[in-house]
Amino acid sequence: MSSVALERLRKRYRDIDVVKDIDLDIAQGELVVLLGPSGCGKTTTLRMIAGLVQPTAGRVRIGGETVDDLPPRARNIGMVFQDYALFPNMPVRENIAFGLQERKASHKRIDARVAEMLALTRMHAFVERYPAELSGGQQQRVALARALAYEPRVLLMDEPLGALDQRLREDMQREVARIQKALGITTVFVTHDQQEAMVLAERIVVMNAGRIEQVGTPEQLYANPQSLFIADFIGRTNRLPGEARELADGLVRVALRNGRAIRARAAGAAQVGDAVVCTVRPEKLRIAQASDDASDNMMPVTMRRRSFMGSSIDLAVEDPAGSEILLKLSATSTDVPAPGDAIVVAFRPEDCLCFAATAA
Amino acid sequence: MMPGARRAYDSGLIAAFVGSALLFLVPQFFFIRQSLLPNLAPGVVGDTLSLENYRAIVTDAFYWGVFGRTIGLSVVSVAVGLLLAFPTAYLLARIRSRVVRWLIVLLLISSFVSVVVKVLGLTLLLGTDGPVVRALHALSFGLWDLRLVHNDASVAIGLVQYTLPLLVMILFGVIQNVPPSLEEAALVHGASDWRAFRRVLLPLLWPGALAAALIAFNMNMGAFTSAVLLGGGRVLTVPIMIQRKIILETDYPNAAALSLLLTLAVVLVNLAALKVRPGAFAATHPG
Repeated sequence: MSSVALERLRKRYRDIDVVKDIDLDIAQGELVVLLGPSGCGKTTTLRMIAGLVQPTAGRVRIGGETVDDLPPRARNIGMVFQDYALFPNMPVRENIAFGLQERKASHKRIDARVAEMLALTRMHAFVERYPAELSGGQQQRVALARALAYEPRVLLMDEPLGALDQRLREDMQREVARIQKALGITTVFVTHDQQEAMVLAERIVVMNAGRIEQVGTPEQLYANPQSLFIADFIGRTNRLPGEARELADGLVRVALRNGRAIRARAAGAAQVGDAVVCTVRPEKLRIAQASDDASDNMMPVTMRRRSFMGSSIDLAVEDPAGSEILLKLSATSTDVPAPGDAIVVAFRPEDCLCFAATAA
Repeated sequence: MMPGARRAYDSGLIAAFVGSALLFLVPQFFFIRQSLLPNLAPGVVGDTLSLENYRAIVTDAFYWGVFGRTIGLSVVSVAVGLLLAFPTAYLLARIRSRVVRWLIVLLLISSFVSVVVKVLGLTLLLGTDGPVVRALHALSFGLWDLRLVHNDASVAIGLVQYTLPLLVMILFGVIQNVPPSLEEAALVHGASDWRAFRRVLLPLLWPGALAAALIAFNMNMGAFTSAVLLGGGRVLTVPIMIQRKIILETDYPNAAALSLLLTLAVVLVNLAALKVRPGAFAATHPG
């Protein structure tokens, strides 16, 4: 049985549907990330699960029970807010105990659970502090402890790491993943950061303009994006616009706008004559060698800039039409061309995806 | 800056400070001194200092009644004002709409309208032939013949109207400073609306709400126009007594003593109010 189920869930503000009839099943103990650009409806969806926003249509079920008529406090959920929303008038202990106190738990149980939460989030040293006396990361931990103290059925997290700097953010991502695994709590995590989504998620739900664009593991979304939006949004990719000329064996022959002809894997319902966009990941591009397979796509380009990234060397090159293309080479590569050099880049047709341009 | 210019700048600041201090302190000195002098005849003041004026007021039950009524009317008006202002300010602070900004501007402009004009409007509205009284009379089939002018109730209504815009504006600012996510966090983590208010919103609003209440209280204690126009000479408050002492009896020393006692009463109430903590209302541990 699914732990959280959304059925044709819709939210309309004034005349705009910000969430458009979405369906989603989340399994018991699963960590699902709702990922999408700002305004895609991911936070509204989360707030409908929490009961802070009333759906215009559709249903939310938690543990098989329809909760649409229940106020937030009766849904037995924990939530971590974007700004943490710790109660500034209460010390850490009171913040963590809040949910248990409101549920009229015994003093013994409150003390035991607060101690457990302090241990889980490694915050015992700060129990008497007020939120204003804590760093961002510490506030984050207290917010998590407060949300988990009364053993809710579901944990909701609304861009909880957005305010932290990069290093701390990565630490907290590991921390959230560790705690979520340790408790096995069903978790819905909202973020606009695709890297964060890939670190955390077992399953990513990519949303765009109020709809679910694609659901899948990070690997599936990266390797087999079902739309140009996903290809663009998950990881970096190069976009090569052109026109479909011929379809054969799942491959499309494309006349690129930059004058080159290439072959690409058909990823959408492009017809001959359609305007298309081909995408190819920077790490799938290489500098052509004399020994290369003649059936690979070749493109003459001009070398512009190189950046050493530690684990890779990124090259920015310019195609015949003057558009920039990014290549990611292994950091151990030798013979890296110099700016101004004319080189040829090669890529396999199966590493290049062809989408109908209108789907963007 | 040249050292000479620096010195001139500094002495300018000091001169302004000393000037302000003198403007404040010198009249106070003469005022206090006045209150300690005997009133020999209307407009004739003696020159022996004593506490006789104060003794006469403090030992007169009539003045205790006047002070009691003044404080009572002020407290009730503040309480009613807060009950009206809080929900209003809360709605304005939480509604995300451009209309709100215009409403606040209107509120601000309305608070610049002279009290006299506002009170006269109220007199017409609440008068014996006014729409409110007639409506109540009609709705109760002639049973309810309410008098809404020249009594304590009408003065209280006037005081509420006088302080309401200020209360709303102060509370609006205070509530806006509390992020809505705090209330949402309380609701999600198990609190009812009422519990979220008591445990989170009220303690956070307390200092601002107390300040607003005290400002309104202090305005009410010194309110003259509402009391004189809506009380119609029947509701005797301290400011009205002071005016009578000066205009009708030409008794400046007594008026000065009354004024100082009014100030003292206001200061005492303010000091007492500052001792009240929100904890008295919001228990952190239920049950």
